[in-house]
Amino acid sequence: MNRRTFSRTATATARAEQGIEERGTPVKEDALHIELGRRYLFAASHRLHSRQLSEEENYRVFGKCNNPYGHGHNYILEVSLSGKIDPATGMIANLADLDAFVTRHVLEEFDHHSLNEDVPAFSDKVPTTENLCIEIFHRLQNFPHAKLERVRIQETGNNSFEYAGKRRKTTRDQANRRDPAE
Amino acid sequence: MILLTRKIEFSASHLYHNPNLSAEENRRIFGKCNNPHGHGHNYTLEVTVAGEPHPVTGMVLDLKELKEILEREVMQRMDHRHLNYEVPELAGQIPTCENIARVIWQLLEPKIKQGKLHRVRLYESPDLFADCYRNGASRAGN
Repeated sequence: MNRRTFSRTATATARAEQGIEERGTPVKEDALHIELGRRYLFAASHRLHSRQLSEEENYRVFGKCNNPYGHGHNYILEVSLSGKIDPATGMIANLADLDAFVTRHVLEEFDHHSLNEDVPAFSDKVPTTENLCIEIFHRLQNFPHAKLERVRIQETGNNSFEYAGKRRKTTRDQANRRDPAE
Repeated sequence: MILLTRKIEFSASHLYHNPNLSAEENRRIFGKCNNPHGHGHNYTLEVTVAGEPHPVTGMVLDLKELKEILEREVMQRMDHRHLNYEVPELAGQIPTCENIARVIWQLLEPKIKQGKLHRVRLYESPDLFADCYRNGASRAGN
């Protein structure tokens, strides 16, 4: 039974709320923002190569990451979710649901595969870890039981990348935007 | 603004069980975390405080003082304890990573007088953690 189904069981939730919240410490739910973070590991190969650049330019820009047969990494994917803690389960999202979703939408297609050859999104996009973050964020943002806050990917122990979706426009962005009529 | 982080580790046992649900429902929702005699983890807690360095000491807050707060509020309450039975702040709540992080936030926030508590991150294992922030605060510096 997943969290969503569970939440809809009105009697169970009502009983749980009575039973649990009466005895628990009163918590100002809306004062705190809680996130759940989960790490996954996948091994994949890639080659950094842009069709828009010449052979020489590709080698100059990407260096040994441009070597023709590619190379691989053990990627660590960190997924962060936010939401209300269900008082009956103490959870933002059930890990079994999250694990199944990430496995189905990311790991099955990426783990022990070539990002360039096996993932259609990278047929015309360089599989840098920046682009990988964006691709994985889009694949996971429809997780039905909590809000996806961000994905963070560690390509090696020395570099990592994060993507949290398109940021909302600030007033400064608005002010800096040039009016096309000008 | 500077973010300062101190890390501590503690070991504790717990189990997930909601007495308002049937044995079958508990098993289905919580899986092996519902085993009746519980199990344990080495928890890693990272506490981040935000503030400006003091013009004289150059410190956001005295790390020794933060260490003492963590010892008193977290270690003495939770280290080598059973979270379901021995931590009154968690009574009646399922001791998930999310709930423990929230309780730790509530214990620490009033005790930190210099700087402001910015983030509580609690790792139950290297693969699973919960973050707690004050709502509306910037979540920069993750």
